[in-house]
Amino acid sequence: MRTLSDADLDAAYTHLCHTLTRLGPAQSEAVLARLALLALSRSASAADALRLVDDAAQDLTPG
Amino acid sequence: MVQTAPYPFEARRYPARLPALQGGRETRRHPVVVVGGGPVGWCTALGLANFGVPVVLLEADDSVCFGSRAICISRRSLQIIQRLGALPGFLATGLPWEGGRSFWRHQEVLHFLMPHDDNQKLPPMVNLAQYSIEQILLDRAEEQPGLIDVRWQTRLTQLTPQADGVELQVDTPQGAYTLQADWVVACDGGRSLVRESLGLKLQGTSYEGRYVIVDILMDSARPTERLAYFDPPCNPGSTVLVHKQPGNVWRIDYQLREGEDPDAAIQPEHVAPRVQSLLDMMGETAPWKMIWTGLYKANALTLDRYRHGRVLLAGDAAHLVPIFGVRGANSGIDDADNLAWKLALVVKAQASEALLDSYSSERVAAAHENLSYGTKSTEFMAPPSFAFERMREAALSLAVRHPEVRSLINPRQTSAITYTQSPLNAPDDARFSAGPVPGQVLAEVPVTACEGDSRRESFLSDLIGAHFTALHFSAGGDVPAELQAWVVAQAQQGLPLQLLRVTQKACSAHAAWDHTGRAFPLYGAAPGTLVLLRPDGHVLGRWHQADMPAAARALQAALHPN
Repeated sequence: MRTLSDADLDAAYTHLCHTLTRLGPAQSEAVLARLALLALSRSASAADALRLVDDAAQDLTPG
Repeated sequence: MVQTAPYPFEARRYPARLPALQGGRETRRHPVVVVGGGPVGWCTALGLANFGVPVVLLEADDSVCFGSRAICISRRSLQIIQRLGALPGFLATGLPWEGGRSFWRHQEVLHFLMPHDDNQKLPPMVNLAQYSIEQILLDRAEEQPGLIDVRWQTRLTQLTPQADGVELQVDTPQGAYTLQADWVVACDGGRSLVRESLGLKLQGTSYEGRYVIVDILMDSARPTERLAYFDPPCNPGSTVLVHKQPGNVWRIDYQLREGEDPDAAIQPEHVAPRVQSLLDMMGETAPWKMIWTGLYKANALTLDRYRHGRVLLAGDAAHLVPIFGVRGANSGIDDADNLAWKLALVVKAQASEALLDSYSSERVAAAHENLSYGTKSTEFMAPPSFAFERMREAALSLAVRHPEVRSLINPRQTSAITYTQSPLNAPDDARFSAGPVPGQVLAEVPVTACEGDSRRESFLSDLIGAHFTALHFSAGGDVPAELQAWVVAQAQQGLPLQLLRVTQKACSAHAAWDHTGRAFPLYGAAPGTLVLLRPDGHVLGRWHQADMPAAARALQAALHPN
């Protein structure tokens, strides 16, 4: 469950896309890593934080 | 060899004809000339005719359009078309639909439904080709020959604004002539000559991505819904859209890969293998034939004003909205609906010219809303940078297991727009806790139409025509004497205002009986509530207990804005 409305999530998504575009591909991994850390630090619990990491990795194969 | 077929539609051809001329000038001056016989031009002409205003409509071609253009008509547009008297044709021809599916690679990642409930008379969307849209509107126009004078094969060549009107020069196969109009409505499309003549330029964003649009003829029992394929196995890296249309026509839009030559890409021999691999992936086995191919490039552009003196711009002449979200023709039809009543009342000297400035401000605000949704859809269809691409892949891949991100994939289909900031809106009454606010369109609800002893199952929108409507809510149809007197006084001055009672009980007066008990809560109404509707169905003002001086002031302020 999320507390953001559809429109709020959409606006945040678009803001992130524009931010990544502005900083360029070379910085995108850094921005996304920092974003991930900030999001993890706002998790409701330790289990929640670990599950976020696992969910993000799910279905991706080592490359 | 690619098998081809014609459209299952034959357009009637119309000859050019010259009006009565004197020295190359038309002898009669016209109150309104509409330039362009597309959906927006026809809706404008029909809208003006509803108010008894005669219109000359200039169309450069000799028939309705050809090819694949607008294909989806929204519920809001259908409500407008109902007021124009052309709804039966749209419902008879169009394919209604309520939702769609999006796929990423092999998996379905979204099944969306557009807003729909038991209160609605009309489906959220119908699919029909633009040639049918135009033909049905044209058929309706031909029923009113005294009001709508259609001039086929009449191409505008020059437009000259004047102090109290506009001079237009036109060319026809039978010769050129000049005509004079008090007002011109430019519905001449994306390459509007009117716009160019006024030195106006659309502003905004043009996108690089190109799409091939293909219409094919194929017999398939697949239901009508919007199908979107992101990075599909049949066309890796591309986005593909599929829409079913009447007459076994299927419309396919697919994105060209970077570096593909667009001119080569629309050749049938290049298109056919892509279509075949898509149909194979979809499991469609019936034989098919190619009807038409074209190229599309998304634009998100608008003028900052739609009124320039005696010239008003509408539809693609005023704004270009990306096709994703189906806001092109639908927003143009909304423009026509907003403009027609205002221009009609100005022509009939029942409203000040300043009313037309509200056409511009309301519809420019609507265009910005449409553009912001259209832009988001376009950026999802064809990501404009590595970042949009990367984030889209994240959204699509997470959507398989995480419903909470699926809204990002929703195509943001068109919906009715609220004129929140309209200068016409009366101050809202804080006693309402529900219901359409000033600037919002009326809420649909089933009612029983009462008149004397007659009882007829109906919908509220069926009882509201092209006029101002005082919707008065009561238990049994009792209306305050001062409200009744006000309505009668307006009618005596020729102002199109009608009273409609919404009642809790059946009654013998002309009324909408709320037999389901849904209308009162839907409008946040109690016995005594008054909602004043504009002729385009938007709320002008509302009073929880009818306040006659305030309602009369709101109407006057709308007709004669400062």
